[in-house]
Amino acid sequence: MSRWGYFFRRLLLSIPVLFLVMTFIFVLLRMGPVDPVAARLGPEATGAEAARMRERLGLNDPLWEQYVDFVTDFLVLDLGQSWVVYADWEVTTIVMNSGPPTLWLGFWAILLPLFIGIPLGFYAGLRPNSWSDYTASVSGILWQAMPNFWLCIILLAVLRQTQGGGWLGFDWYAFGPEIRSITGTPSLDFLSWSNPFGAVPFPTGIDWSALAVDVKLILPPALVLGSASMAAELRIGRTAILETINSNYVETARAKGLKSRAIVWKHVFRNALIPLVPVITNEAFLLIGGSVIVESIFNINGLGRIFFRAMVQGDLPLAGALLFIFTLIIIFLNIVQDFLYTIIDPRVGYER
Amino acid sequence: MMSLERSPRTTAERDEPILEVRNLQTAFFTEKETIRAVDDVSFDIRPGETVGIVGESGSGKSVTARSIMGLVDSPGRILQGSSIRFGHVETVREYAEAFPNRTVDLESLRAEYDPNDFFARAAVDVRPTDLGYERADDVPLEDVVAAGYGDALGVGDGDCVFVTDGSPESPSSIADGFVELTRLDGEAQRRMRGGRIAMVFQDPLTSLNPVYTVGNQIKEALRLHQGLRGEAATREAAELLEDVGIPDARRRVNEYPHQFSGGMRQRAVIAMALACEPELLICDEPTTALDVTIQAQILDLLAELQEERDLAMMFITHDMGVIAEISHRVNVMYAGEVVETAGVNDLFADPKHPYTRGLLQSIPGRQEGDRLQTIEGNVPTPNQPATHCRFAPRCPKAFADCEAVHPASVPVEEGATDHTAACLLYPEELPTAEAVARHRRRADTETRGDTE
Repeated sequence: MSRWGYFFRRLLLSIPVLFLVMTFIFVLLRMGPVDPVAARLGPEATGAEAARMRERLGLNDPLWEQYVDFVTDFLVLDLGQSWVVYADWEVTTIVMNSGPPTLWLGFWAILLPLFIGIPLGFYAGLRPNSWSDYTASVSGILWQAMPNFWLCIILLAVLRQTQGGGWLGFDWYAFGPEIRSITGTPSLDFLSWSNPFGAVPFPTGIDWSALAVDVKLILPPALVLGSASMAAELRIGRTAILETINSNYVETARAKGLKSRAIVWKHVFRNALIPLVPVITNEAFLLIGGSVIVESIFNINGLGRIFFRAMVQGDLPLAGALLFIFTLIIIFLNIVQDFLYTIIDPRVGYER
Repeated sequence: MMSLERSPRTTAERDEPILEVRNLQTAFFTEKETIRAVDDVSFDIRPGETVGIVGESGSGKSVTARSIMGLVDSPGRILQGSSIRFGHVETVREYAEAFPNRTVDLESLRAEYDPNDFFARAAVDVRPTDLGYERADDVPLEDVVAAGYGDALGVGDGDCVFVTDGSPESPSSIADGFVELTRLDGEAQRRMRGGRIAMVFQDPLTSLNPVYTVGNQIKEALRLHQGLRGEAATREAAELLEDVGIPDARRRVNEYPHQFSGGMRQRAVIAMALACEPELLICDEPTTALDVTIQAQILDLLAELQEERDLAMMFITHDMGVIAEISHRVNVMYAGEVVETAGVNDLFADPKHPYTRGLLQSIPGRQEGDRLQTIEGNVPTPNQPATHCRFAPRCPKAFADCEAVHPASVPVEEGATDHTAACLLYPEELPTAEAVARHRRRADTETRGDTE
């Protein structure tokens, strides 16, 4: 099978996963512990009101009809309404509002480890058993050992201390763009939009100072969220480099007379990236779980925090819809992972 | 498998050696000990000749090859006093042109060099015996500078091209000289690797990078040493693959290593090594990982390519059958030392060193009686300077002196310059006591040289 044939097979495999998750959410909603009618109307509702609500929600239809309705709704991204957290709001609206801060956080939480962890790991791997290697490896283990929630609090405490000039005169509040609070939701309005091509809005300009504020707000939580992945990438990157650099084809390349720089860039890096691909995509899964805690502590109104509230308050449609969105993200990342494999490693999909 | 048909061309018919290895010592310095992986090895390779290096695992064969390629990694190092001279005249011309600052005219140095005076100087910490000579008078200037003791004569640190006939100022006039491989680094070393000396490694399954096409990896060498790019490089790569017997080479060029079988991959690796028309091809157990029929094909291919291109070859293996098939001369290595050197016919017909005899007896089919004879024990790790015969503990013919005297390499009998063995039993015509005395004399002068 060709490399791309393999890729498309993996693509098709994600469809049953999607249906499985939707079925699970449906079961949770219809047969779960919370009665949808009671949850919406509260305890004081009369029997007539409840009957009307039951009829309106379609709960009197046969179960298979409810299931088909539910699935078709989800597939066209009509995710229903929230019961409690944002009573009677469309879930789609909630996601449109709180999705961007989460994406912004996730973007930086992936970017930081990618551009700090992997280069450091590669650097350490190219100079094994040197002082820089020991420093990088030990700090990597330290980073990985610190749990997110603890790191959040410590980081907040340290940054708060710097208000009005702290250690060495460093003031996080005044450093770079000025902010009033070190926590909060980034406003993300640094892009100005207009509609030059009709209905589709198109970004036409960037407000750099607003962007700087948004970046500054997101850096501490992103650092916390990405810390474990950063350490993992560092360590696996180091091992991957060491393994590759001692391989026979690198020796062959040296015997060919290639410069060591050419060997590292052409022969070592690409092979060392192969074991890193699953690490990078896996960490994106971690981000979803981690964002629930980090968003709560850093007071960011994102999907993670809403998911947490929805769970605590028994807002099943909201929690289910968010679960569905997380599933979509994970399936998408899996596809990205397969795509990266297919590009980097020609052996993918090869069967003898 | 075992055929002795190919007649070795004798030394007299041959030109000057293209590679002269002299007193090569490569040691690995670990915290625990110093391992002398290659300990005082000398041999020559001539154009069109295949020199086999045979020995058990751990006898220093591969380290010898790596030393020639300059691929010995830290904590390993080639020790001072070692010399590997690459005597190909065109290469010397090219190097003299490319690296004028690293070129030395030995003719002009010769006037200042008086061997007796030189070795008497306090600053010179080398004895003639270290370079393999009994008397200072005999030591030629070439050996002194090549072994790295030229600084007292004004040879700079980076100097690596030595011209013995002709003027370095006009490279085309150079008629004789050598490039000293142990003194190469940087660009000079990279030009030598792949361009002049190429190497084929043991495991064809892993010596190609899995993420690039075979053609890409051949073209890499072509671009580096011949400046070929684009279409021309692709065409040349396909031709090379065709030359090594890969059918449908035009399509194969764009395939990945995993789409090749083991034998095909080794052919591709050989094509890659030959891409830049090297003068010397080092094969480090190229057939060990292949099955016997493929092995025979690869050996035929190598012999054919050698014929076509007048390649000099150094062939490392632990398989006596393969050695008989391919080589003209054989060096038998044991624990970092060459214990016997002979033409291939002599070696198989009349092995002298007990180790060589043991090796030949352990080939299935050649034994006397039903049981296959083996050499008991393992190769010792050479972590001390040799003060006795390293093979003595395993040697069926060992006697008391073997534990006390380090055997020197001597002709196995009077006049047999082509066949030497490092064993106290030789030269054969001498009574053993006299032979031991001769070895002891050689060993004594050497150790004295070491300690003084």
